Amino acid sequence: MSTTTAAADPVARLDAALGDPGEGGRVAAEADAGERFPAEACARLDAAGLAAYYVPVAHGGRLDDHEMLLRLLRTVARRDVTAAVAHAKTYLGAAPVWVAADRPQARTVAAAVLAGDPVGWALSEPDHGADLLNGACTAAPQPGGYRLTGVKWPVNNATRADLLTVLARTGDGGARGHSLFLFDKAAAPAGSWRELPKVATHGIRGADISGVEFTGADVPASARIGAEGTGVETVLRALQLTRTMCASLSLGAGEHALRLTARFVAGRVIQRRPLIERPFHASVLGRAAAHLAAVEAATIVACRGIHSLTAELSVLSAATKALAPTLVDSVLADLAELLGARSFLTGVHEHGAFQKLRRDHQVVAIFDGSTPVNRAGLVQQFPRLVRGWASRGADPDGLREAVQERTPPRPLDTGALTLLSRRGCSVVQSLPDLAATLTGVPAALATALCGDLDELHARMALARPAARPAMVAYELAAAYELGFAAAASLHLWAAGQDRHRGEPLWEDALWLRAALQALRSRIAATLRLPQPPAADDDERLAHVVADAARTGAPVTPFGDPVPGAPGGR
Amino acid sequence: MGAEELDTLLGDPWDPQNPAGHAAALAADERAEMFAEGERRLDRYGLNAEFVPAAYGGRLTSADRLADVQRTLWRLDPSLAAGHGFSSFIGWVNVWVAGTDDQRREAASLLLGGGRIAAAFHELSHGNDLASAEFAARRDAGRWLLTGRKEVVGNLRRAEAFVLFARTADTAGSRSHSQFLISRAALPAGSVRDLPRAGSSGLRGLQLGGMELRDCPVPAGTLLGKEGEGLESAMRAFQITRAVIPSFMTGPLDTALRAAIGFASGRRLYGATAADLPYVRSVIARAHADLLAVDAVSTVVLRALHLSPAVSLYAPAAKYLTSRMALDAFEDLRSVLGAQGYLREGPYAIFQKMARDAASATFIHISRSACLAAMLPALPRLARRSWLLSPPAARELFEPGGALPPLDPDRLSVGAPTEDPVMGTLAAIGDGAGDRAGGGPAARFAARFAAELRELRDACLALPPRDITIGASPAAYALADRYSVLLAAASALALRDRFGDAELLGVLDRLAGRLGGASVLTDAERAGVEEQLYLAAAARHRDRELFDLTARRLPGQGGQP
Amino acid sequence: MTEQHTVAVEPTAGGIRTWLVGRVAHYLDETPDAIDPHASLAGYGLDSVYAFALSGEIEDTLRVTVEPTLIWDVASIADLTDRIVALIGDSSAG
Repeated sequence: MSTTTAAADPVARLDAALGDPGEGGRVAAEADAGERFPAEACARLDAAGLAAYYVPVAHGGRLDDHEMLLRLLRTVARRDVTAAVAHAKTYLGAAPVWVAADRPQARTVAAAVLAGDPVGWALSEPDHGADLLNGACTAAPQPGGYRLTGVKWPVNNATRADLLTVLARTGDGGARGHSLFLFDKAAAPAGSWRELPKVATHGIRGADISGVEFTGADVPASARIGAEGTGVETVLRALQLTRTMCASLSLGAGEHALRLTARFVAGRVIQRRPLIERPFHASVLGRAAAHLAAVEAATIVACRGIHSLTAELSVLSAATKALAPTLVDSVLADLAELLGARSFLTGVHEHGAFQKLRRDHQVVAIFDGSTPVNRAGLVQQFPRLVRGWASRGADPDGLREAVQERTPPRPLDTGALTLLSRRGCSVVQSLPDLAATLTGVPAALATALCGDLDELHARMALARPAARPAMVAYELAAAYELGFAAAASLHLWAAGQDRHRGEPLWEDALWLRAALQALRSRIAATLRLPQPPAADDDERLAHVVADAARTGAPVTPFGDPVPGAPGGR
Repeated sequence: MGAEELDTLLGDPWDPQNPAGHAAALAADERAEMFAEGERRLDRYGLNAEFVPAAYGGRLTSADRLADVQRTLWRLDPSLAAGHGFSSFIGWVNVWVAGTDDQRREAASLLLGGGRIAAAFHELSHGNDLASAEFAARRDAGRWLLTGRKEVVGNLRRAEAFVLFARTADTAGSRSHSQFLISRAALPAGSVRDLPRAGSSGLRGLQLGGMELRDCPVPAGTLLGKEGEGLESAMRAFQITRAVIPSFMTGPLDTALRAAIGFASGRRLYGATAADLPYVRSVIARAHADLLAVDAVSTVVLRALHLSPAVSLYAPAAKYLTSRMALDAFEDLRSVLGAQGYLREGPYAIFQKMARDAASATFIHISRSACLAAMLPALPRLARRSWLLSPPAARELFEPGGALPPLDPDRLSVGAPTEDPVMGTLAAIGDGAGDRAGGGPAARFAARFAAELRELRDACLALPPRDITIGASPAAYALADRYSVLLAAASALALRDRFGDAELLGVLDRLAGRLGGASVLTDAERAGVEEQLYLAAAARHRDRELFDLTARRLPGQGGQP
Repeated sequence: MTEQHTVAVEPTAGGIRTWLVGRVAHYLDETPDAIDPHASLAGYGLDSVYAFALSGEIEDTLRVTVEPTLIWDVASIADLTDRIVALIGDSSAG
């Protein structure tokens, strides 16, 4: 924002606090190779006060705007996804507390987080993965409290965290048979629990992915978060927040990769010319940037929607969590092709940063609810989405606020979080009305998208929700995510075009054209429809991105600059 | 000797106690070392003999035999496969193509004695762009003086000999480089500076070396082929390697698919096993179809190496497509394994290793975009001269295991081919399909692909010259991509007798999906095909049969993940 | 790219040279008068792979068999013309 000075902007302050990116990259590469916790980066994040943004203002922290938290976490992730996963895990672990805890519990957790103590979220179990309803970890009622027995594994920060939020069975299992507990290692009797060793992982090798085993650990009744039997519901509501925020990791990884690759493509000479002057290679780079812009648009609207479209978050969060890592994994695969050997060598091209971020990022699609889990969540909501599309139902105030990026949002009312959005999705359902207000190319893009979405919703109407949806339903959900991202892009463009006038990415609606082309092409492939006519926006976008990667300017329409970009020095 | 004997020699890969199994390969990978026990077994098997033609004392009689043996290794450990022998093969083919009889014998005897030949082509600043290679050799008093750097070269440090690609003229153009066959021991002491080994995230065991030389003298007789013909020799030699590599991709995919099925069958989720979820069954069915598609196209390309000059087009087309399909299949399977696919420990740890290794392996030798660029010049000429005009291929192109004429490197041509027998077969099958109105789904697919060939011909006829170079438009590159899909579809259709019905339809559906546009199958047909494909894959998993066209039984029993 | 098949090339040195200049110009997106028949083809940036396509066009249009690498081995369009004329002479003599 032009009105925000760098010194006052928390994002710029955090970026500066992280120090020289080149040196940070070297340290991160070493820690990754040695499977060491990114302690130095986390110490810098602690010193910079990042943890305060994990705690709502009402509990003494600075969290009153999830778009700000998104930008902060993305800034960390574009340096080192491992550090972002390691540090931001506290936000995930604490989220159910903000959603369902009483004030004394929230005060305890807020104090711990503000003091820099990590909090973990103990959901997964060895034989049940993310299947929340069939966990084997139990909390047996006993006078004065409960006794925890069972294994939670693999769990991020299970060893480093003193506080764990633990989902455990308090009845016969099932939707009302689990409760959530705040487990304080320091308060639990010694010998009643133990930490399980760090797990060797494919990426985020330095992160504390470990576990905890409860062998009859007594916890007081006051450790239970919310009423008995509400554990699963609390987790599912909190997951709507955390799944949305996970996209920050994808945006950071994608931006890092885009910058690395753009610099390479601009400088690499093949057959006597820089690769970027080759239309095909430029188009690959540009298409990657277009996808990242689309992910950014979806994510910003979803993060702002946490505040203003809270009751629709069951749709926004599932779509975002399924979309962001999937598209960014695919972007990374395409960028790897441009980088060639540098995509997998560890010593070269900025300390082998690409191969590390690629491995690191692959965790995003599987943790906090995998892509199939989130798609199944969308499939369950098809009937309402279909009805909402037909009626063009929308929450106009909430929508307007959701697409006004970088404006203060309304306070989050966690009570409005619901497991099934009654209205469907305002962002998508308002598209026909938005199209009517647009002119020129954006209007044409919006109209074409409406045609895609008509077809999509017609097919969604035929896909009956089922406990075990058919593959075709997952494909429709994937197309819905893309449609959501396209609608979010159009909304953000319409709301932001005046403010961003003159920025190269916004000139002639460049990013919007390229993003819509990328998304509509994917929708067509997913639905097996004819491809939209080819366009050459990707090549033009590639040149803008290559310049930005050199100077440190934003590489996405809503991104933040990198003051110390290697090419800019 | 052959793939079955090698399988027996290596034992059950899933047995954790097997010192030549996955567990031991993973441990070596963790240490970024070559898999020592694997190397010992391969030496015992005499793997290098598989690379050496019978005329030079080895066991190389046909490309498909070589591929069978290699695939066994790529299933077990791609680092071992690439690092133990195949990097020597890349060096050797250049000797075979360009060397004198003496040079061939010298190199063959080195290989047969268990030695290694590195292929010192790569320079980090030029990648696949061989014509820009800077490493220089200049004549000086009846010998050559070598100056320059080679980087990221497999086995460079531990190879007894290496084939060197060096600039021998300062002029631009394609006659400015030459090849040399150099024995490491013949280099003057102290004249070579070995560069530190390059680390890699995939194929971690590979010994990627580099060297820097300054005015290092080597005898005149080290020249391999004629001066100035280095690029042409490489382009001919690499037709062999690039025709063979596509088949390797079935190896990592087979192992990954096996791990995914094992996981899905054992994992209980939502009150059932994961394998009861339609999503999981579909992903497995599709990966199985992808593997079969990879096998179909690579089988045909291997045979074309013996039978048709069009292999100069088929090889890059297949290398491109099979790389893409394998990587995409890994992404899909990753979603089935979830967190277990992300762990470097536990029963499914091999999955992440195969994913890393396969991703790195697709860059070996030539990148996917370079494959497309290499295909482009051939397309307009075939559009003019061959497509929809040429007769179908001779039947022997589509007879896996059938007799083949010897592989003669002198017959390999670098030019743009004038005939495309595989597309001739596609056109013939497509015509037949059109005659049987209301034919089954296979006929609909045949008609769909034949129609695509007509569109491709029209588009390629209209390609301007600029669009057949590295500077081609994205639309032109997309034509090469489409051609590669047609090559695979034609291969599968031509091999249709080797497939079960559901397998054939599954393969064709996956390939048609890559072309985009309207679905040939209805949703219900697809669901039916995928269910059958899943059941077939699960049965092969249970019976320990390969997922490829051979369905050969593997050693071992029980104890699969 | 189809036009050269409808335009017959006069099988003389002058006719072949004019046609070759046209093909190279087309490839480089230049007008034929911008192409110097005596300049180095590699200097114009005719890369290795395009050379094979041009060889194919020479074969298909002039009905003469050439090595795919012929273009690599000639100094200029003029030189290439001479080589092709010689090949045509050989094939009609034989």
